[in-house]
Amino acid sequence: MANINIEINGNVVKAKIGEMLISVTDREGISVPRFCYHKKLSVVASCRMCLVDVEGIPKPQPACSTPINEGMKIYTNNQKSKASQKAVMEFLLINHPLDCPICDQGGECELQDVAMSYGSDISHFAEGKRTVADSDISALIYTDMTRCIHCTRCVRFGSEIGGIMEMGGTGRGEDLKIETFLRESITSELSGNMIDICPVGALTSKPFRYELRAWQMSAIANVARHDLVGSNIFTQTYKTKVKRIVAKDNDSINETWISDRDRFSYEGLAHENRLLKPQIKINGKWEEVQWDEALEFSIRGLVNSTFNMSDGSKLGAFASNTATLEEFYLLQKILREIGSENVDYRLNVRDLDNVIDLESNIKLTGLDGIDYALVVGSNLRLEQPMINHRLRKAVLAGASIDVINAMAFDFNYRLNSENIVSPNQILLLLAEILKSVLESSYAEIPKYLSKVKVGDIAKCMADDLLDADNSVIILGEHIINNLQAASIAKLISKIAVQTNSTTLNISATSNSIAAAMVNFIPGQGGLNANAMLEADLRSYILLDVYPQYDFHNSAQAIKTLSKENTFVISMNSFKDKDVTQYSDVMLPIASFYETSGSHVNIEGVIQSFVAASNGPGESKPAWKVLKVLADLLKLPGFGYINSAQITNDISNHRYKQKVDNKEINITIKRGVSVIWQKSPYAIDVLTRHASALHATKIGLMHRASMNKATAINENIKAGDKYLGVPVVITESVSNNCIFVNTNQLTGSKL
Amino acid sequence: MISRIRKLVKDFSLGELRGGMRITAKELFNKKITVQFPEERIPISSRFRGLHALRRYPNGEERCIACKLCEAACPANAITIESKIREDGSRRTTQYDIDLFKCIFCGFCEEACPVDAIVETQIFDYVFLDSRKGSIMTKDRLLEVGDNNEREIDKAKEQDAKYR
Repeated sequence: MANINIEINGNVVKAKIGEMLISVTDREGISVPRFCYHKKLSVVASCRMCLVDVEGIPKPQPACSTPINEGMKIYTNNQKSKASQKAVMEFLLINHPLDCPICDQGGECELQDVAMSYGSDISHFAEGKRTVADSDISALIYTDMTRCIHCTRCVRFGSEIGGIMEMGGTGRGEDLKIETFLRESITSELSGNMIDICPVGALTSKPFRYELRAWQMSAIANVARHDLVGSNIFTQTYKTKVKRIVAKDNDSINETWISDRDRFSYEGLAHENRLLKPQIKINGKWEEVQWDEALEFSIRGLVNSTFNMSDGSKLGAFASNTATLEEFYLLQKILREIGSENVDYRLNVRDLDNVIDLESNIKLTGLDGIDYALVVGSNLRLEQPMINHRLRKAVLAGASIDVINAMAFDFNYRLNSENIVSPNQILLLLAEILKSVLESSYAEIPKYLSKVKVGDIAKCMADDLLDADNSVIILGEHIINNLQAASIAKLISKIAVQTNSTTLNISATSNSIAAAMVNFIPGQGGLNANAMLEADLRSYILLDVYPQYDFHNSAQAIKTLSKENTFVISMNSFKDKDVTQYSDVMLPIASFYETSGSHVNIEGVIQSFVAASNGPGESKPAWKVLKVLADLLKLPGFGYINSAQITNDISNHRYKQKVDNKEINITIKRGVSVIWQKSPYAIDVLTRHASALHATKIGLMHRASMNKATAINENIKAGDKYLGVPVVITESVSNNCIFVNTNQLTGSKL
Repeated sequence: MISRIRKLVKDFSLGELRGGMRITAKELFNKKITVQFPEERIPISSRFRGLHALRRYPNGEERCIACKLCEAACPANAITIESKIREDGSRRTTQYDIDLFKCIFCGFCEEACPVDAIVETQIFDYVFLDSRKGSIMTKDRLLEVGDNNEREIDKAKEQDAKYR
């Protein structure tokens, strides 16, 4: 668009034609008051607070909906604009209660600030003020709708960003109410953002209610580690405790939004279950000891149990995928220095010889611009809310999306087609797509595809992939334990190459990419997670692992770790029954936001963060503990004094996991597949301890879904329990599939 | 020479002493201005800023709503407040401490308070018996001061009301 010159308050300013006036003033740092305008939402110009004087137009114009034009002369602070802003402010305040002292927004309230700088000292309004009854809309958001000034930011957020119009305006004029239609009906995974965008105290955070004022806390920029995006956040701390999390703008990562999981998981930090002191087990009894004693004990145990330090191969290490890049690096470095290749973070994978090997080669911002996406095996909205948000943006801009899933999920945008396919048939469908693509481009058909017959559905998807200029194939979490996971990944990369598509592998979440980056997988001669549990190792180091939840085969894991002659060092941030049972040493480590480190997101961007607070009790950041352990073991090359030095040591290189090079074999497996997925609010130890999240609809999700045919085959009735999870019979699940979605704080028991 | 003789006479006739005794004799019959504290007290302005108190409403409910404006206004950082939702859903403090060693008795807290909960009474003769700990007025102690001096506080506030 053409550049033009306009004049604001007598200064010439460059701008693009057609831009709204308020975006120009924002860019130039000229303050224009506003309530309904939000840079990421549509313009409604309903609050009239941003009225400014435009030369040549008799009435003041709202800056948010006035497109600029060459030679325009605007005055944001002359008599006319000031008078109109003052008048609007007085109108907005006639029904607003003056309860700032008990309002949680007080101190960070846009209305308060604007009233102070643009409003009048007195009001001409002496009549009674309107009051609005509140309803309980969510476990996360507290409402006080009497304070609402009807800016409709939350309404627009619901329809434009959240994808479900959960809040709406009912009534007119004086009776206009912003409300939900039902109680507790806010179910969006992004709902917490409404708290951020509400300019008044109508929507406030429930877990944070009445605790602190904004000015009492210090905001520290941080990175959320619950998903593959690494949303930028501010951790707000008070007396060295994280008290609240709000979004930090970063257009290339999370824009202005963060998911509820990132926003409310901090509650877990203050949970009573935190591990506070180092403990060692002497003759079967736990004793609280000082750090040095616990570390000495650990070293002695390691040396004794692994016979001597020259044969380290009897030592194994597991880490949770929420660890930081530095922690992964130090732990694998210790193991490799000792001479062990037994490191792994892929604890939830059933068959580590059948793993997904697929590169992600699309930027997050690139997702906005795609015109076709094929999603395979993912409930995107709940698994990766920010990636889903970007796809939604693409859909609104005209992209079409096809989904291949084992069960029908709620997508908050229109899908081109939703294909519910039994997990064992997914490979076949992808083979059909590949064959169709190859046929369309007159390429040679490889032997393994010769028997595949292309169906109509596959043909459609193949054509869409070929037609699209910017397409992406997304491989999701549900494939990770698919019997043909490796082949599925291979087919997808072949399809991607043939159709010139990009790929996005979101099958492993949290900080898994960091683990892959520092080679936290067994190398030559090393044992992988499952092999380690079967092998007769003498000692284990566990980094924030809770076997009951984290391991695919939790029973086996607990059994192996509990063996008489194994020495187990557990570095944990929370107490856990099983950990207490099998460990020999428990070292308390700092949890999320209490340690410095880095997160690596799906693009491979390393985002480093600092510790926002100290760990509770005597807990220490895990990287420090690992460094001291290495020093005590007299290993060379651990002379780090801060985590940034460790980060510098790490080269930005993605190691490949061991993948078999076997030719793809398109066979149809028989039998019922079980997809076991933890609810998004039970994915890691911190979210499992965040109580408010568990009271939401998403947090309460706890069901084993299957269709009637599968239920009859398996001899299960509705209301039964499948592996402890209540059974729901629904036809939205594909045949021969049991989809377990559990918030039960236990792992899979398959 | 003459002044020397004059001084000699004055010194030997105890002139200075007589002058002093004259004043003493005069004051012996004058009205006394010494106040026998603590039995006697001089009147204190209603705006006097002494020991703090937390007030209650007539129905016994504490006034303080944990808005933390006093904490923010305090130039000496003498006030510490922790708040939480009370069982009935109202916003209340769980801790309200004023450190009297830090307090400079400026009265900003009283001015900042939107519900007239924290006030400075006319009490100035208090003592800390157990040193550092005693200097911290906890919520209970502040409410107690308020309860014990309810009438005086009300009277002082009433006198000052028309000027506020």
